[in-house]
Amino acid sequence: MQSTQGKKSNRKARVLGSILASAAMLLPSAKNALADAAPEEGVVSLKYLNYHDRQTGDTSFTAGMSKDRTTVNALSLMTVVPIAGKWSIATTFIEDSVTGASPAYHGWGFPPDSKKDTTSGASGDLRYVGDLAVTRYFSRGTLTAGASYSQESDYISRGISLNGTLSTESRNTTFSLGTAYSSDTVFLNKSNVVDSKRSDTPGRKRVVSGLFGVTQVLSQNDIMQLTATYTHGNGYYSDPYKDPDARPGKRRMFTLMTRLNHHFDGPDGTARLAYRYYTDTFGIEAHTFTAEYGQPLPHGWEITPMVRYYSQSAASFYVPTGDDPRKPTPTDGMEYYSEDQRLSAFGAFSYGVKVAKELGRSWSADVKYEHSEQRYNWGINGPGDPGIPTFDFRSIQVGLSRKF
Amino acid sequence: MKKRVVLAGCSLLALLTMSGLSGCSSVQPWEKQNLAKPAMTFDRDRLDTGYTEHMYSSKEAASGGSGVGGGGCGCN
Repeated sequence: MQSTQGKKSNRKARVLGSILASAAMLLPSAKNALADAAPEEGVVSLKYLNYHDRQTGDTSFTAGMSKDRTTVNALSLMTVVPIAGKWSIATTFIEDSVTGASPAYHGWGFPPDSKKDTTSGASGDLRYVGDLAVTRYFSRGTLTAGASYSQESDYISRGISLNGTLSTESRNTTFSLGTAYSSDTVFLNKSNVVDSKRSDTPGRKRVVSGLFGVTQVLSQNDIMQLTATYTHGNGYYSDPYKDPDARPGKRRMFTLMTRLNHHFDGPDGTARLAYRYYTDTFGIEAHTFTAEYGQPLPHGWEITPMVRYYSQSAASFYVPTGDDPRKPTPTDGMEYYSEDQRLSAFGAFSYGVKVAKELGRSWSADVKYEHSEQRYNWGINGPGDPGIPTFDFRSIQVGLSRKF
Repeated sequence: MKKRVVLAGCSLLALLTMSGLSGCSSVQPWEKQNLAKPAMTFDRDRLDTGYTEHMYSSKEAASGGSGVGGGGCGCN
């Protein structure tokens, strides 16, 4: 039996379910410089995801141990319907199921004397997400209004957004402007909320975001995009299932993302490169580099290998492990504190590959595998916490799509 | 705080510089066949992107960057 605390320390784990959630999320219109025209064909896409993560011990206390943490199975359905050549309606519905638990702190739940503990995975949570985006196409721009809703047993999120694009007459430059608002409610009266946070009054969080971007055609084979995003959040940022954990009630985030796509004439392939800078008022700074290359092959096949590197600094209120990562570190006298591994400094390497196949004129299918591993000593944003066990996950996606 | 102001200033400068490139680019409509390929877009597979972004944002402190909208999830 998994302890109550651990079982739900998984707000995050479960939330991973929201993975799915966002799949649906309204697609920012900043993404495509050549997207002024309304789609000529409708699309129905179905995609399945299987995700699994674990921690592997490599300290003197946890060496040789591994612990399965969370598993997610998700199914998403997306439709895009063009209307009268000037409008489109995109909808997404996602259902995901999450089992297992992320650690309540550091290396929580590591078995003291066994190499493998499979007893921690039995909590099952369902999440449902739906969203809708309506886009109006103009001769040199787009305007998209969106709304989203997601719900699970103890969490509700509602969001609205408005995104617009405007292209120059040559259509070599597209400006993007967007804003979004979300209101989240987390119910704190559940029996598995940690004692210090249990309340009949729900926790609420309101988040406002703004975006400005420029997408520029650089040559016949190159297109680049630069996007700045600012997010201002107020409300309940603590995790009701983690202890020790008390986070500030405000979080302001800034990201600057640049992406470059290059087409190679010879092999007819495409390289896609991206870099993201991130900083927030939790004191976290992060760098993300992503590279992938899509190579079309005969008979409608395409293969796309990818690599990713990520590094982050620790939050200013992150409390490192003590002598034994299997025990929480005392936080006496601290106003804000968290022993969530995701707020520690670390680096992560990922790799993956996607294989897609065109099945005639209308159908296509794809399969993608991805693996990522986080280690405290792989980062470039300062020293990590040597007591944090190595974390890794793998995901498999299988998709089917039809144009009509 | 000073660092953030500098950062915001640099970002704005970068965006303005990039937008200034519009006058330098001379790619004509009939030269955009490669740019028009689905592989050259930034959101080719929306469901894949959604899954992937959420996997990482729920296991790392940083999130977002490519757009806004969709509401919160409590992942971070």
